Amino acid sequence: MKEKIEREDIHIISRHSSWSEARIDELLKREVYHSKASWHKFLSRFLISLGIGFTTAGIIFFFAYNWADLHKFFKIGLIEGLIVLTTLLVLFSKLRTDFKNILLTGTSILAGVLFAVFGQIYQTGANAYDFFLGWTIFITLWVVISNFAPLWLIYIALINTTLLLYAEQVASHWSEVFLLTLLFIINLLFLTAALFLKRTSGEVKPPAWFTNLLALVCVTYSTIGISGGIFEKTKVPFYLLIAISTLVYGFGIKYGLKMKNGFYLSIIPFSLIIIISALLIKISDDAGMFFVISLFVIASVTLVIKNLISLQKKWIN
Amino acid sequence: MDKLNSKKILLEQMKLLEGAEFECDEKAILEEYQKQQDNGSSLAIKILSILGGFFATLAFLGFLALAGLYDSESGLLIFGVGFIISAIWLNKVYDKLIIDTFSISIYVIGFALLAFSLLQLHVDENLVATLICLIALSALFITQNYILSFISVLTISGSLLTLIISNDLYHLIHVYIAFHALLLTYVFLSEAKLISLSLKGSKLFNPVRIGLIFSLLLGLVVIGKRDLIPFTQKYIWVSSIVLIALMMYLAHVITRINKVESKKSNLVIYSLSFLILVSTVFSPAITGALAIILLSFLVNYKSGFVIGIISFLYFVSQYYYDLSFTLLTKSIILFSSGIVFLSLYLFVAKNLNAHEKV
Repeated sequence: MKEKIEREDIHIISRHSSWSEARIDELLKREVYHSKASWHKFLSRFLISLGIGFTTAGIIFFFAYNWADLHKFFKIGLIEGLIVLTTLLVLFSKLRTDFKNILLTGTSILAGVLFAVFGQIYQTGANAYDFFLGWTIFITLWVVISNFAPLWLIYIALINTTLLLYAEQVASHWSEVFLLTLLFIINLLFLTAALFLKRTSGEVKPPAWFTNLLALVCVTYSTIGISGGIFEKTKVPFYLLIAISTLVYGFGIKYGLKMKNGFYLSIIPFSLIIIISALLIKISDDAGMFFVISLFVIASVTLVIKNLISLQKKWIN
Repeated sequence: MDKLNSKKILLEQMKLLEGAEFECDEKAILEEYQKQQDNGSSLAIKILSILGGFFATLAFLGFLALAGLYDSESGLLIFGVGFIISAIWLNKVYDKLIIDTFSISIYVIGFALLAFSLLQLHVDENLVATLICLIALSALFITQNYILSFISVLTISGSLLTLIISNDLYHLIHVYIAFHALLLTYVFLSEAKLISLSLKGSKLFNPVRIGLIFSLLLGLVVIGKRDLIPFTQKYIWVSSIVLIALMMYLAHVITRINKVESKKSNLVIYSLSFLILVSTVFSPAITGALAIILLSFLVNYKSGFVIGIISFLYFVSQYYYDLSFTLLTKSIILFSSGIVFLSLYLFVAKNLNAHEKV
């Protein structure tokens, strides 16, 4: 069985062998560094993303520029024309799928521009939640069809923004804990769906960075929600958040152990450490407690790491 | 299969491949693999120890502030020095991942206490910054622990920046950026040389590489974000010149790897690249992030690559948000750079394909 040599191997072997600098250089170039083919792939993706990104941004700035001379029909017509054009390109051209996905992502941003211009003309207020709501709703179809992780990320970010703005502008009676609980649940649903797809669907698998990022967002919401909730007058949403988090954290740990994923096994314990520290401050906020917390954090993080290392050792062998 | 066994096989393969002249200390190599397996550190664990160390440090400083212990300068000084020495000593004696969180915490707390007490004792600011810089530098020679070395590199560049800012010598920031950018490029492109130089150098390679990326980013943030320091934007192109020259050199390295030989192709690639780079002359931060992306891809360094992409996106949005041009001018600049990128894409795609067919 042929073993693939990696950077780490070269580093370690070079420390205890007669390898010359030239030989190491040769090995690094051949085994570790990128070949011509991967440069080709990288350069074409990188350049086309930058190209489309900058061009779209240029168009956005053009519309954001408050040019009063143009007739409103022309402004809206222009963006709609662009949207139609790019959509047609996606539908009928023979571009590669990943380029089409990048193009559709650009189109989805243009849809937001369209709403912004519409809001500007009819004075609906560009920051209002309904602007983001409209944007979110109208790109849904593209998001689902493309199944392109970056576009999904934009979509989920839009949903989060819509909710945050709604809470700020309309539902100002919502408590912070309630809002965080809601956001936690929504992102959790997306995460669950993505993880479910990862196991079942053969065609499009959500990339690891996507699910990890979503998991991080969920855990951040629950951590802030619970640590903040500790200092507030406790209400129903707080208990709800604790109940769901307990369940989800339990599942997360189980999932991490089953899938041999150290990420979940790091963020969940860390979230718990922060929550417990918040609880300790709630109990007492004098100097001695801060000293205890610093010791607690060091000890608990060390314990988590110790367990992670022994798990990793088990997984490798 | 056991990881250690697979490494043994790998070593046997290397021996066969390298022939009789190849000598290696098999025992030492396998020992190092074993040690690494016992300490097997993933990125998640590294981040966890850093974050844990950070929170513990915050809580400890909170404790000092609340307990009013900062009144006794000499006490803090003794504790500071004691903490730094213990952190380095702990890492030197037990080079185990498990004590990382603890040693990072006391290392950083030690520096904080040292700086605070010396400033309270009215020691000159420059002297304090220089002293901390020197301590961190010597720590690199004593222990080659990954995270401690990483923090030491950041401490060194942090104290350099402090020296620049506290003396109002803002233009020296260009020197800082040029120095870090050149050093970073040298480290990335001389991997073979640096790891074969000495055992310590080889162990320091990884932490110093990532430390330099963050140090360069630190400098780029300082000039990339307007009004962060009172610094005139008029001479901002000074940094750009160094970075653009560096990027052109990278373009040269990359065309060599891709075996672009025809004069015409080279000319088109260099001029389009130059055109793109010139459009960022007032934003060296963007060029710097691009350099990090290309360098990281060049040597297949994934973390650096991701850091580069994220900082690139940040600097681009920061730049166009801050820019004092009208929206129309911004739009034109963005649109035309977009077009240049697209033309470079079309050219590269067409050319590399043509080469492959031959």
